[in-house]
Amino acid sequence: MMMLLAWRPFLDPMSLASTWWMLLGPLALGISVAYKAVRVPDMKDYAGQVLGMTAQIIIAMVLLWIGSFLFIEYLVPLIAP
Amino acid sequence: MPIPDAHAAPAGAAQPTLPEEFEPVAALLAVVFPGAGQWYLGDRARGVFAAVGVLGLFLGGLLIGGISVVDRKDNPIWFIGEALVGPVALGVDYVHQHHFKVIDPVTGRLRPANPDEARDPATGRAVKAGPGRGPPYVKALGRVAELGTLFATIAGMLNLIVILDAAWHSPRDPALGAGTPGGAR
Repeated sequence: MMMLLAWRPFLDPMSLASTWWMLLGPLALGISVAYKAVRVPDMKDYAGQVLGMTAQIIIAMVLLWIGSFLFIEYLVPLIAP
Repeated sequence: MPIPDAHAAPAGAAQPTLPEEFEPVAALLAVVFPGAGQWYLGDRARGVFAAVGVLGLFLGGLLIGGISVVDRKDNPIWFIGEALVGPVALGVDYVHQHHFKVIDPVTGRLRPANPDEARDPATGRAVKAGPGRGPPYVKALGRVAELGTLFATIAGMLNLIVILDAAWHSPRDPALGAGTPGGAR
């Protein structure tokens, strides 16, 4: 509680030691909002394109995480026991 | 001078692509503020959403890691990417360097204040912290610093795409093909 009271937005870093991975969502959304603003041919499709790209980024990162986990935990011990 | 569009639809296609044209004023405005180039060219929704995305990521980085994530002296490589956000990033760095860092009493160089130090507002020198007077900011470390820097740098890289889109602009809607700057083009 004291940490929260002492935190000064935009000056001090947030306390995200165990929840940092939750920032993947806002990061993916921000990238999609800016990128699709200049890429969609018709702005009527903008919202759907942004949500689609956000989902693609998150799914790709989760798949990369799973792949890395399997590689480190199972494949590497087989190669170098 | 019109630049041939490699992605132009072939003759007889349903939706012809309008040729790209170099727009120096839009390019300049885009460099000054994210999305301003598209706004000037009449693509106002694109300009607003581009600004929301770029500034949202940049301010998000500042919120996550604090002002220390924008630092041209301690973090010059990442600052190259962050500087692409434009004068906003340069201004944040200026404020950081000149109003939040302290002058080391031994070396005379600017550095972040240590946890037991404060900044003398008159001289900018590091002084001992006391009651109600602490460091001007806390330097981000570890993963929070990485994420804050990543957010701010990606914002700059995306703004480069936004600037290039404004500079070599091809109106997506044929109805916006010609007109006066600032109006419907």
